[in-house]
Amino acid sequence: MTRLRSLLLVLVTLAAATVTFWFLLHQISGVWLDVALRPEVRVALERSMDDQRKLRDLDPARRAAYRKRFDETQRLLNRIEVIRMSREALLRRFELALLLVFALAAAGTAVVLWLRYRRARDRERQEYLQRMTSLQETARRHAHEIKGPLTAARLELERYADLVRAGATDDERARAEESVSEELERLARYTREFSSFAGVGKPAMRRESLGQMIEEFCATFTNAWPGVELRDGGVDAIVCADRDMVRQVLVNLCSNSAGAGAKTIAFAIVKSGARVAVDVRDDGGGVPEPLRARIFDPYVTSRRIGEGMGLGLAISRKVMLDHGGDLQLAATSSAGTTMRVLFGDDQC
Amino acid sequence: MVTLRAVLRIAVFVAFAAAAVAHGQQPSPVFVVQPGGVVAAVMPPSILASSGIQKRLGSGLTTTFLLTARNRFTGTATGARVEIRYDLWDEVWLVRRIEFDRKSDQQRIVSRDALEKWWRTPIRIVSTNAARLPLQLDLDVLPFSAAEREDARQWMSKSGGVGTASGGRGIVDALIGTTIAAKPILSYRWNLELSLK
Repeated sequence: MTRLRSLLLVLVTLAAATVTFWFLLHQISGVWLDVALRPEVRVALERSMDDQRKLRDLDPARRAAYRKRFDETQRLLNRIEVIRMSREALLRRFELALLLVFALAAAGTAVVLWLRYRRARDRERQEYLQRMTSLQETARRHAHEIKGPLTAARLELERYADLVRAGATDDERARAEESVSEELERLARYTREFSSFAGVGKPAMRRESLGQMIEEFCATFTNAWPGVELRDGGVDAIVCADRDMVRQVLVNLCSNSAGAGAKTIAFAIVKSGARVAVDVRDDGGGVPEPLRARIFDPYVTSRRIGEGMGLGLAISRKVMLDHGGDLQLAATSSAGTTMRVLFGDDQC
Repeated sequence: MVTLRAVLRIAVFVAFAAAAVAHGQQPSPVFVVQPGGVVAAVMPPSILASSGIQKRLGSGLTTTFLLTARNRFTGTATGARVEIRYDLWDEVWLVRRIEFDRKSDQQRIVSRDALEKWWRTPIRIVSTNAARLPLQLDLDVLPFSAAEREDARQWMSKSGGVGTASGGRGIVDALIGTTIAAKPILSYRWNLELSLK
């Protein structure tokens, strides 16, 4: 694509240079080629001057008129002669002008291409470093998520073995077993998170009342995030959506808001033409500036290691894109964040 | 004799320093010292008679003889000019001479002989108080005058559609204006050491 663009740029530049050359050629060469360089013009003018002289002798009464024509013709002849004598210099200058225009066009093209190449190379390098940093972060999170339960489970197993060797009671052994099970369950949850990311299915679209969905969501999840108040906007709109999937999106958004220290999460239905959206506005700490551009990328999170893998927004956006809509970061600052859940305008 | 010399102050010094003349075979002017330390030059008739000049003289354009006198010690320069145009209507020579002090003389000459005689009239090129004058004299023969060049330039820039295209007119005008120039068809240089006493 970049090569195609570069080629196009070169072609456009050369075309511009050619048009300029043609313009100059038309402006200059047409003049002397059509007038100055034609010997028959000169001969005709000289004959005309001879004729005026003869007429002067034949018709002395109109001498002044013949003289006037003679002078006009001679002036024309003089001009042509002056241009003829400068012809070589004019041609050389013209060729030099063409050469300079070509050289400038070529140099300009080269500079533009070089700048584009350098910019592309810098961008590629920056993107690579960003990818590497992201992968390192992901690796650290994976290691932590796996290492934590594994270490705990190994220690619990050692304790269990000690209990068995020491002839511990059934209750003590059962508690140790339970503890191992808990750690293994943590590992299972961890893998389930990946499974959900890998297995985001296609939405089963149905006509739904968005207002009703949000009202039910607020009622159901009113105590899900302690200290966070959910506020229903009270306006309704009909959308095509998979109710369960949209609810999962809202859960993810609310979890993020709660994690960012929000005390209030307000839902507002927004209509723009045929499109419907839900603005989810919180009063949390906002999205850190360095993360804003990559907030929907997998494994990007502001949470500490061990508190999540940063897949929630990636999954949520995928869900909304499958709906024909989108998930956007509408606004964010230290006073709060607004996420826009945009629905498609398809009819069910 | 001395008084007579002082009154006439016409002494002809043809100073040919052996190494001073760069072109040994080329015709050389004759110099005349006039009252007031004015140096005048008589141009060699062979220049006017040369085939290149003869061809130009009949063209109807103004053949211009540009004289530049440079003091080789001080670097100061003065100039004089001779213009000859053959009027094809009246078949006369229109001649003009402008000397170093801007003194101008204009004549109509009816015959070739009269033109050659007029050509041999000394033209004043420089004035000096020094006893010796190391002089570099340049003569450039131009095929047309500055006025004829300007007329041709304006005519050309208005011809052939140039005048109707406003976009590149400035560029084209500049190109033509700086290119149409009267290049010398003949050039001479003399290096002399004139003794004025």
